[in-house]
Amino acid sequence: MIDLIVRHSGNKWVATGGEFYAEASTLGKLDKELEKIVRQKGYLEVSKKIYFFMGFDNSVLPEWIRQYSQHYFNRILCIENDLNP
Amino acid sequence: MAAINRINRRWYSGMATSEDWWAVWLGLVFCFLGLLSVTGVDLVGWIAYPRKWIDISQSIAPLGKSYHNLGAVESLLITYLMFTSATCIGAYFMRWNVKRYFLGWTFIFIITYLLWIIGNHAFFAANVTNRAKYGLTYSLSLGGGAAYILALLVGLIIGNFFKHFAAFLSEAAKPEWFIKTAIVFLGVKVGYMAMKAADVVFELAITGACATIVAYLIFWPGTYAIARKIFKLPRKMSAVLASAISICGVSAAVATGGAVRAKPLIPVMVSALVVIYAVIELIILPPIFTATMIEQPIVAGSAMGMSVKTDGADAAAGAVMDELMRNRKMNIDGTKWEEGWITTSAVMTKIWIDMFIGLWAFLLAIVWVYKIDRRPGEIVPASEVWHRFPKFVLGYFAAWIVYLGILFFLPDFVDNAKIGAVPVEKGMRKLFFMLTFISIGIITDFRKLAEARFGKMVGVYCIALFVYIIPVALIVAYVFHHDMRVPIAQ
Repeated sequence: MIDLIVRHSGNKWVATGGEFYAEASTLGKLDKELEKIVRQKGYLEVSKKIYFFMGFDNSVLPEWIRQYSQHYFNRILCIENDLNP
Repeated sequence: MAAINRINRRWYSGMATSEDWWAVWLGLVFCFLGLLSVTGVDLVGWIAYPRKWIDISQSIAPLGKSYHNLGAVESLLITYLMFTSATCIGAYFMRWNVKRYFLGWTFIFIITYLLWIIGNHAFFAANVTNRAKYGLTYSLSLGGGAAYILALLVGLIIGNFFKHFAAFLSEAAKPEWFIKTAIVFLGVKVGYMAMKAADVVFELAITGACATIVAYLIFWPGTYAIARKIFKLPRKMSAVLASAISICGVSAAVATGGAVRAKPLIPVMVSALVVIYAVIELIILPPIFTATMIEQPIVAGSAMGMSVKTDGADAAAGAVMDELMRNRKMNIDGTKWEEGWITTSAVMTKIWIDMFIGLWAFLLAIVWVYKIDRRPGEIVPASEVWHRFPKFVLGYFAAWIVYLGILFFLPDFVDNAKIGAVPVEKGMRKLFFMLTFISIGIITDFRKLAEARFGKMVGVYCIALFVYIIPVALIVAYVFHHDMRVPIAQ
């Protein structure tokens, strides 16, 4: 499982962590970007599936709101090597 | 600048840094000190507690009998020192600016006690059954509600007209932390009440849970439909609004925003609206319910729990209504209801609502991720339910269960347990209610409502709340709680 931090910059979703950096206007496109990076770096040649844990950077939430809630979301993304089962 | 747990990665994330958890620690430390009275030592009776007064020298004294030799000033000083050190430790761990917190807290503490004492003047607080005792022929019969109302009003005046002072106090004006701590103390109250009327407490808990489930299933789809069909709002915004208006305000808006993967701006905008509307409800609903539902106080409390969003405003509204209704009842026929049952009815319903939000957001996430957005490869982790679970509820139930345990398994210790329970469930709980009232006022700026471009959301909120949520809440509360009686005070 690769840990990433995901945040929203105001107009883009941004995922960072280790050697990964991706940004896109929607989460769907962000996932595609990550998939592209995974394939480029050859991760799927070693492993059939790659899991990303994407924890939302809760510091994006304004300070006044944190006393009500301190969790936005965590998501897991599974990228499979569907070309080489 | 307050720090935050950036990522909630583990089940214990935020235990040392979030207000939610710190409400548990703060609440349980004082509950534990109170519990030590079973050994015969009272470690909490020093709490300074205002009484109805006409002579200022009689206005405040320690609540515990074992501290009756302590003067008012000493009692106030100990109360200040105990809670200043406890909350400053919390502020330190939550990585707030401790110096700013300490200064703000000190001012808030002083203002709180001043208003608490003023609000207990017999002119405000006495009712028809006891005003003669204070040499009065007329009084406002507001009971402890006068102090709450005063605290809210003064807080609102500071928040809206003395902006620099409000900004100075803001580091310590934490209504959600204060109310969550008060709710942990309320757990002791509920346990203590169970010692007197266990059957009513259990009935309240079970019917409260049923009412909450029914409310979820009716409120959310109805509000979502209003937003979508009448106001033509987009799906995600409608979902966030539906949760905020129909479930539990800000925490529901943030949970749903995360669940449906909305841009964070959407729940933030909705939350700003929630906070303002919750204060409006807090101001108008208690007197209306008191005037119209005096024969159904538990129904009124439960309906309040379903209608008023944010824990702080709901508990505060329940507490005001508790005072107003009990005093009105005494004025009408001399019946003296036990204090706290109406507040408990409002808070218990709200706690059930809060607890379900994690599950509800999880279901919404599943529907959104797997059925609506259908992003390939995305998995919704089940741990999301835990991360969204309100942790202060654990403190509330822990306090409740400990006192229930004493009732059922250690009946010989009940009398001693009551000695430590009263300062916590009465003195400390009401102090934290007062702190909540003043803090809500300080952080509420009504101008934001006019300045912000909420657009259609204001319309959805107004219609859904007043035309749909409140009437349905009253019906649901009536179905589950009608004719439940508040025990008579001995």
